[in-house]
Amino acid sequence: MSDELRGPDDDALGRRLASELPRYTAPARLRVSLVEATDRPRRPMWLGPLVAAAATALALVLFMLPVLPRIVPADPVQQVVRAVVNEHSRALMWGARQPQILPAGLPWLTQETGIDLRRAFAGDDRLSLVSAEPVYLTRQRGLAVHYRDVDGHLVSYIVLPAERSFTVVERDRVAIDRFRPMLARDSGFVTWIWKQGDVACFLVSDMVSQDDLERFKDYFVRVRVATEPTIAY
Amino acid sequence: MADADFQRQALQHLDALYNFAVYLTRNPPEADDLVQETYLRAFRFSHRFQPGTHLRAWMFQILRNTFLTFYRLRERETAIAEDGVPDWDVPMFHDTSTDEGGALEAHTDLERAMRHLPEEFRTVLLLAEVQGMPLEEVARVMACPVGTVKSRIFRAKERLRGLLKDYEKK
Repeated sequence: MSDELRGPDDDALGRRLASELPRYTAPARLRVSLVEATDRPRRPMWLGPLVAAAATALALVLFMLPVLPRIVPADPVQQVVRAVVNEHSRALMWGARQPQILPAGLPWLTQETGIDLRRAFAGDDRLSLVSAEPVYLTRQRGLAVHYRDVDGHLVSYIVLPAERSFTVVERDRVAIDRFRPMLARDSGFVTWIWKQGDVACFLVSDMVSQDDLERFKDYFVRVRVATEPTIAY
Repeated sequence: MADADFQRQALQHLDALYNFAVYLTRNPPEADDLVQETYLRAFRFSHRFQPGTHLRAWMFQILRNTFLTFYRLRERETAIAEDGVPDWDVPMFHDTSTDEGGALEAHTDLERAMRHLPEEFRTVLLLAEVQGMPLEEVARVMACPVGTVKSRIFRAKERLRGLLKDYEKK
């Protein structure tokens, strides 16, 4: 150091520090561990930013998932089945607990939906009527009647006007009593599908196991026999 | 600078860094940890080092910053004067106790006096006088102007002389 602050005493003290203070050398094991650390294959520099970018993209996709367009099935029957199942899910979670229409209100239901129930299954020893309400599915007005069986399963009967493109697939039909409805499975639910005049009828439930399915066949018969929907206007 | 080159050049300063670490921590096992952490950081951020600048100063700067980050937290808080140096004689680090495991004993008055200097004073003396670093490099390590380094060296030596005189009287 050569500046105005430095005097003879400073130089002497500096020399003393340099010569008298003990010098500590790094232990061999420290040197070895550092050398080993440098020899170890290192993570590529691009990996960190890549992982961060991928994580960000994944988070964005998850965030945007609810607003991304759903993959719509090409088959018109499948499209309707999905809509019907969604309606059943809604009723299962919320709608059935908030019944809007009681059996006495069926004329109003016809007025609202354009579908007339000349006869309606009002429940029996196995199924009890929970609610009935107008619905709007696949751009059509329709009606839904919800029942609950003795085991607590919600069963939704949904009627929509049958479009021309709506055809019940022959290979998926199941013989039940004297009827041959189509069976469809979607999102953990089973649906009986049949045409009755100008309307398409659906009976949806979560009774997917083999035993449940047999009982669900019975429910189908009960509803099918006792219900007669038509297009009112 | 290629990774292998950088690592080889960085390892050339191991002894100097270890010596500095021992004087900062006064505890060889802690000095080991400090040096290891310093090298890990240096290797991890080697892409930030600008070739052609002083690698030694850069390594010392990492070591000191690591020391201040990790070790200062364990020490008591002290009031700092305007120039960043405590104005009283209480040492900033490790005080004078040597009862910690692995702590280094002071064998000479000079060592004991160095031990009693605040870290800012001890560091400038170690870098400038013991390591023989130019003041510009010391300033870089300390992250302060060269003038501040000169002032600290001056004050550090004054404090050191005072301590040595006290020891002689005793």
